Amino acid sequence: MKLLELDAVAAAYGAVQALQSLSLGVAKGEIVALLGANGAGKSTTLRAISGLLRPTRGEIRFEGAPIAGMHPERVVRLGIAHVPEGRRVFPGLTVRENILLGASNRRASRAQLGREADEMYEIFPDLLRLQGALGWTLSGGQQQMLALARGLMAQPKLLLLDEPSLGLAPLIVQQVFRVIARIREQGTTVLLVEQNARIALSVADRGYVLETGRLVTEGSPGELWDNEEVRAAYLGGKVTKAA
Amino acid sequence: MSPRARTLVYVVAAALAVALVLALPLGEYLVKLLLQAASYAIAVLGLTVLLGYTGQISLAQAAFFGLGAYGVALGTTTLGLGFLAALILGLVVATLFGIALGSSTLKLGGHYLAMVTISFQQILTLVLTNWISVTGGPDGIRNIARPHLPGIDFENNQVYLAACLALLFAVGGLVALLKSRRLGLAMQAVRDNELAAGVVGINTFRVKIIAFALSALLGGLGGGMFAGAFRYISPDQFAFDDSVVLLTMVLLGGVEAAIGAAIGAGLLILLPEWLRFLKQFYLAVYGAAVILIMVFLPAGIWGLFSRHRVWKPAAPIGPLELDIEAAAGTLLSVRGLAKHFGGVRAVDGVDLDIAQGSVHALIGPNGSGKTTLLNVLSGIYRPTAGSITLNARAVAGLAPHVLAAAGIGRTFQNIRLFHSLSALDNVIIGAERPGSGIAHRAAATARALAALGFVGMAERAGELAASLPYGHQRLVEIARALAGHPVLLLLDEPAAGLNLTEKQELVELLKRLRGHGLTILLIEHDMDLVEQVADRITVLNFGRHIADGSPAEVLRHPEVIAAYLGEVPSHEAA
Amino acid sequence: MTVLLQLLFQGVGIGAVYALVALGFVLIYRATNVVNFAQGQFAVVGAYGMVVTTADLGLPYWLGILITLAVMALFGALFNLGVYYPLRNRSFLPVVISTIGASIFITNIILGVYGPEPSMLAPMLDAPGISLGNLFLDAQYLTIIAVTLALVALQYLFFEHTLLGKRMQAVSQDKEMASLLGIKVGWMIMLTFIYSAMLGGIAGILVAPILFVSVGLGGQIALKAFAATIIGGFGDVPGAIVGGIAIGVIETFGAYYISVPYKDAFAFIVLFAFLLLRPSGLFGEKVSQKA
Repeated sequence: MKLLELDAVAAAYGAVQALQSLSLGVAKGEIVALLGANGAGKSTTLRAISGLLRPTRGEIRFEGAPIAGMHPERVVRLGIAHVPEGRRVFPGLTVRENILLGASNRRASRAQLGREADEMYEIFPDLLRLQGALGWTLSGGQQQMLALARGLMAQPKLLLLDEPSLGLAPLIVQQVFRVIARIREQGTTVLLVEQNARIALSVADRGYVLETGRLVTEGSPGELWDNEEVRAAYLGGKVTKAA
Repeated sequence: MSPRARTLVYVVAAALAVALVLALPLGEYLVKLLLQAASYAIAVLGLTVLLGYTGQISLAQAAFFGLGAYGVALGTTTLGLGFLAALILGLVVATLFGIALGSSTLKLGGHYLAMVTISFQQILTLVLTNWISVTGGPDGIRNIARPHLPGIDFENNQVYLAACLALLFAVGGLVALLKSRRLGLAMQAVRDNELAAGVVGINTFRVKIIAFALSALLGGLGGGMFAGAFRYISPDQFAFDDSVVLLTMVLLGGVEAAIGAAIGAGLLILLPEWLRFLKQFYLAVYGAAVILIMVFLPAGIWGLFSRHRVWKPAAPIGPLELDIEAAAGTLLSVRGLAKHFGGVRAVDGVDLDIAQGSVHALIGPNGSGKTTLLNVLSGIYRPTAGSITLNARAVAGLAPHVLAAAGIGRTFQNIRLFHSLSALDNVIIGAERPGSGIAHRAAATARALAALGFVGMAERAGELAASLPYGHQRLVEIARALAGHPVLLLLDEPAAGLNLTEKQELVELLKRLRGHGLTILLIEHDMDLVEQVADRITVLNFGRHIADGSPAEVLRHPEVIAAYLGEVPSHEAA
Repeated sequence: MTVLLQLLFQGVGIGAVYALVALGFVLIYRATNVVNFAQGQFAVVGAYGMVVTTADLGLPYWLGILITLAVMALFGALFNLGVYYPLRNRSFLPVVISTIGASIFITNIILGVYGPEPSMLAPMLDAPGISLGNLFLDAQYLTIIAVTLALVALQYLFFEHTLLGKRMQAVSQDKEMASLLGIKVGWMIMLTFIYSAMLGGIAGILVAPILFVSVGLGGQIALKAFAATIIGGFGDVPGAIVGGIAIGVIETFGAYYISVPYKDAFAFIVLFAFLLLRPSGLFGEKVSQKA
């Protein structure tokens, strides 16, 4: 059984159809990348999974149980944490408070939460010295790290990451993806939306390519890159023979 | 029905209604109620313009109503003027205050605007109550005169009511006509999407001031007629609660159409009468009704009946005149352009030259500052530093509508159409931009249809913008920009969300535009598309440009490959 | 000098009432992005709660206060369910109108039962006050100031030192993100309305003995509390308190030195000045974000 399964899921924003009959699956322990151009429906897919958007058709199953249309507050209690595009750090709360709130999906004592937050500083050492700083004062890379730490505090079985590289310098992007690889090593499954196909496929086990809300193709990173047509049309990597 | 026939029917119906009011034996009590409803309806029409058309809130309509009423009252008593002169005095005062209040929208919107209008309302009430030597204070003013015209007995309440109704029909007709005129469309554009309205050449601030002025004028007119009708006024008739009542009337009837004002005013004047059996609780029921209306009738009563009628264009559609005088040299030149948000350097010292008649692509990772650059070029943001020269004219820091008038047209990454208007009206607004050389509506319509035809959307001209599928909305947005006859077209990710076929159609469209000599600056992630249409590419990263040149050069540039395009990945995880 | 201090004391006292109502505004605004135009009526309901319990039913003062507070909590919950919740996904205008409708409803229910004549309440304390030289510190005003201080301190502790307080802050900053973390957004908003109604109720309980209790009370208090929130910087908690007290002091001084009939106008004139010259208020926008 797959950890997460989407079966013919369709979703719309008002009159605009954003997803048309998308089916995909994520197995336990995998990193799966969702790729495609802006507007292809990648973020919409994540929003449908985490409950921010109610699918108009189709089934979403998590650990075999249907979750489509479930409220986000319940979805996260099942063990799906969604780190949305743009990090969405609470600007008026401190770094530590942001991290602590990540555990709002489960019961734990204040002391226990404090210990877990301290553990986060081991994965994200930069955040330790910033723990008293307000969210909005952080740089983009720091905010991304904080958003990841906050997502991990939910102790998710599945982590949904939307564009973690957005607006970050290459060096920082590498750091972020190193952390993502490490998160998987610790047993968390990751479904990753990325525009930067190269970096996404460098950590992913499999990738799905979307176009206007439909699945175009899927495969291992090698397969996707070896398919010249796919690469040219969807992965933004036009250059085939770099001089 | 043609517009001409519709006007005729309206005039005949109005004349009939007025004649009926004159002829039927209405009881004195009913006449008084109708007098109140008619004068209120005129004031509510002001809110139709302000809130319905332009989307600006006002909780001070009773204040303007009061200014008109006190104008007539003081004019005909203390000043000894005739009714008409006194009314004009009231209208001038009301309109001036309307303009003053409207100018606060330069900085404020939403709740703040609500607060400004409430404050104005409160202060006026205090002045009317306490400036006893002039206003008579809480006792109000008696013996207000009515108009004198030989042969017409305005002293008869029923005759005066007929005059009020005639005025209401006239004003209502004008407000209804306004909706489809240039000013009315501009107002609706401001309401639907203020940012896009500026970019298509509408001076949004001016439109909002005009809306406030008109609203105040109509408020004053209603108040003036009210004063004449009851011949006695006092400050408590023009208090905050009455502003709320006027606002409720327009929302209940329906803000979208002039007829909503009449429905709302009529109903809320009569409703308390029908609720009299509830005795002292009738106003409580009225308050509860307001909540229920908001919950269950979001578009008001008229909203239940009105539906957008989809139509197809009948007349043959002409070709779109796009050609620009072929000139060599640089159309747009950007030097050292920077835009910082607090500590974030979204654009950080960019130089850019766009040649006349070229298609210039701007590429770079998400978050590299491309859209910010476009926002600076179209006037949405003021640059922190640097210069922008368009056709040898320095244009950095100018307002969006000024830049639109200078010939910069654009589309948005997340499409910004005027969603409650038809596709054609969207494009007509584009065609009517100042400086487009369009003099009248017929020409604008022809050009708008031509622009829709050019992008292949003429068939859907009569559909509501919001109901179009995504790809078509993009095309309508491009048509809106084209209809303004731009010298420079800025396109922000036009291919986002399109499928392969639609993308290919877009490539063809861009090639045709280039064939007409139009200069285009294009942000796009799809390298395939960029390679097919671009003459030149500039690559941005972290708000700076990292490469510049022909597609062949840029796409092979090692730094560009590293930062953006990427190579076949190695599988040792980074 | 004595006059000055006496006026200052009175101004701070009445300003504290505005501050409490303003605080209620700010909390609801931060949780829902909507200005509750019925906030002043919360105070009226609180004041009439005291009239019903202590004057009509003859209950002791402390019991009247407890019952009134319980009623306010229930009232806040009902207000949320009836006035805000059905419209939560709509733009701000329908919600604003809906709260205005609620304000008309509440006003006229009370008017229907009690009529327009103001009711009088016995003073809360037996002691008239404290004399400091020529300065007389009225016990009622002292109570108002003390209660306001205590509430502000409690609220500070709650928001800064409890996880629940942090969750409510998170909801006010980004509802969608909060729900993604598993914070029960609807429940947090419900709590906000309940607390906000209780704050309004307390303001009403406090002013009931010093002003005549009438339905007109709500409108005036509400508008001044509005003014206070804008002067303080919209959505800013300390700003609302400083703004409220500033308005109280300004109008007390204005009434004494300039004009009594125009007492109510001073708040609006100051408000106008702020709106036009410094719309972000005294404390400005603390959270700056990229456009």
